[in-house]
Amino acid sequence: MTVGASVKQTLANLKGAQGTLRTYSIKVQDESARSIYAEALMTTNKVIDDLNKRLKTIELEEPQYRAY
Amino acid sequence: MKDWIEILIRSIALFFITFAFIRIMGKRQLIRMTPFQFINYSVIAILVALMATNLIKNLAFGFITLGIWFLFPIALDYLSMKSKWIHDLVYGKETILVKHGKVMEESLSQLRLTGEELLKELRSKNAFNLADVEFAIMESTGEINLLLKSDKNPITPHNLGTIVSPQSAPQTVILDGTILDEPLKNMGLNRGWLNVELETMEVSLDNVFIAQVDSSGDLYVDLFDDSVQLPEAKVQELLYATLEKIQADLCSFALDTDNQKAKSMYSNNAHEFQEMIKKLEPHLLR
Repeated sequence: MTVGASVKQTLANLKGAQGTLRTYSIKVQDESARSIYAEALMTTNKVIDDLNKRLKTIELEEPQYRAY
Repeated sequence: MKDWIEILIRSIALFFITFAFIRIMGKRQLIRMTPFQFINYSVIAILVALMATNLIKNLAFGFITLGIWFLFPIALDYLSMKSKWIHDLVYGKETILVKHGKVMEESLSQLRLTGEELLKELRSKNAFNLADVEFAIMESTGEINLLLKSDKNPITPHNLGTIVSPQSAPQTVILDGTILDEPLKNMGLNRGWLNVELETMEVSLDNVFIAQVDSSGDLYVDLFDDSVQLPEAKVQELLYATLEKIQADLCSFALDTDNQKAKSMYSNNAHEFQEMIKKLEPHLLR
């Protein structure tokens, strides 16, 4: 697996985890737990952005491995 | 009037009167009663029995006595709520039996309690070794409560320094195949949500015996048909595992790349992720 593909896979996993986090941040009853989930959502958002940026750079560097 | 009719009417009337008054007198349990309360209830029971079987011919006399034995305890309860002095007078004071790990022999002899009886009571509270007991007290109901030495106390998350998430009581949302609307509303949910959850589990409503929603909003279902195997909800554990895997991926990307900027971006994110996982852990794993 190329680096690009593995980054892509991690990104997909991360997006899935973010979805689960989001459902919990909505349905959890406890206020403090909710704020922790919201914080986690922000962290995942930031990591997703960074990974997306990195992915673009990788694809620019090695266009032959570009996969859609 | 024939005798048996009179007894019938008396019994039925007294049945409801006694029932109502005992409800008013409170929900104290038999084992938690002081000796005097026990006598009080016994007197009421005997009076009612005598009146119902027509042994007390004059109903007025019977009701006067009964009224006093009903009303005085209630009055005493009210007074003892208002005044500590009366409370101690009525209910008695608790007696300290073991203090700082030492048995108070004078208190024992005051209560006419032998050493064997004390040991038996301690054993029934799971303290087999007298050396483990820091403090023991006999309540006015005769019950013995004790405090173990601090190094013999059961361990709690607080002792271990672990943070655990607060857990409120789960709400029962389905009983016997009927949806209970009030608990649902308390959790901020509605029938639509419940139907969707049941659909994803592929369960029909009339097959559900009990369904509960826990504090994290997950649904647990018990079915009438026990042969149906439901997938156990491990969403939180799975989420935790996924997050840990992503964190590990970020770490390995940081090691793999030669680009300095990318390396620092990956390791920064990996670090932040680690912090986040640490905060989420008490909520996801419990």
